[in-house]
Amino acid sequence: MADLNLVVVTPEKTVIDRTAASIRVPMFDGSAGVYPRRAPVVGRLGIGELRVNGNDGSSESYFIDGGFIQVKGEQVSVLTSAVQPLSEIDRAKAQADLEAAIAESAVGEEALAALVHRQERARKLVSLSSGS
Amino acid sequence: MANARSLVKRLKSVRNIRKITRTMELIATGRFKKAMDRATEAAAYTKKISEIVGDLGQADLKFSHPLLEQRPETKRSVLLVLTSNRGLCGGYNGSVLRNTLRHFQKLKETGIEYTLEVSGKRGIKFLNFQQIAIDRTYTHFEDKPTFTEVDELGKRFVEDFVAGRIDRLDVSYTSFESISRQNAVVETILPLAGLGSETDSKDESRSAAVDYEFQPSPKEILEELVPAAFRARLFKCFLDAAVSEQIARMVAMKGATENADEMAGTLKQQYNRARQAAITSELAEIIGGAAALE
Repeated sequence: MADLNLVVVTPEKTVIDRTAASIRVPMFDGSAGVYPRRAPVVGRLGIGELRVNGNDGSSESYFIDGGFIQVKGEQVSVLTSAVQPLSEIDRAKAQADLEAAIAESAVGEEALAALVHRQERARKLVSLSSGS
Repeated sequence: MANARSLVKRLKSVRNIRKITRTMELIATGRFKKAMDRATEAAAYTKKISEIVGDLGQADLKFSHPLLEQRPETKRSVLLVLTSNRGLCGGYNGSVLRNTLRHFQKLKETGIEYTLEVSGKRGIKFLNFQQIAIDRTYTHFEDKPTFTEVDELGKRFVEDFVAGRIDRLDVSYTSFESISRQNAVVETILPLAGLGSETDSKDESRSAAVDYEFQPSPKEILEELVPAAFRARLFKCFLDAAVSEQIARMVAMKGATENADEMAGTLKQQYNRARQAAITSELAEIIGGAAALE
């Protein structure tokens, strides 16, 4: 079976460059899986878990913070502003972040959107760190 | 021997300075390599972005986005100046600041309101000396600017621009073209001139055969993509400035080391001559004294 070539890049560097049997990405509207021979797609990502399943049945999970995905043949590119392995998430810090974000109030449309984004991000971090 | 002794003193101090400049050169070389690696790694992101832009291009989409719009009238602009925190790097800060002043004069003449933001102690000191008011200063960008740090600025600029608080963003920095070529430039990065223009034509021809599915829609992807492209662009300015600073310092220190070498050589020669002259005159005195006794 053909493999996927997964490349994850952030503005600072290429974080992941490996082959995978399948991956799962958080799209803007929910999770999506990518298997080899998927039709080409360009999509917007949401906040959440990127799961990479290797050929040997192992799997790794990362937290990604929005961005884009491009699938072209076997080549899967994920562009995101931040990547963090799930195991490295500091749960207590995420929890504190979430509480701070909830306690804060925002005035104006943009500030509100930014705050909602922050809350969403913190909530995802907390739920992902407790799940693993 | 008084002359010879003062020469020895100078020779010693020149050699000490040489040691320092040589060390600084080596440090700058190391830092330059690191900064260069970072810049190369960051290029992957920009490349991917322009690839996706190319993909979107075949969706018959008109590229319109608030960040791409040219405003009919520029009333308020922001000038961001990137200089180094440390000196001893040749003409690096000088040329950036010279450019900045020129641009500044232009802004004044056209009557555009401006906000000045300066990164780097050297630039802050210089502009203070010129008695130019600075609105914001940053000194925490060292030779390794991180994306999160730069992004804080980027987010603010985007918000201000979209809300209409600013009409233009100029960055005065040193762009890195190659190892032997860096230019101090003033670039307008908001409104964005294009999205990764250099690789567009190539990418389009290559990916033209692929029929993409767009999720959610090309338009909505573009809405996210343009700010991402801008932030990557701003980040690149900082990376370029960091690389150029290290190159400038490396070159300056190399020159200083070579000068010190040359000076040490001349001083050593002068010292040897002075010493020889002293010995000769002493001998002449002894012989003269002996001859007088006979």
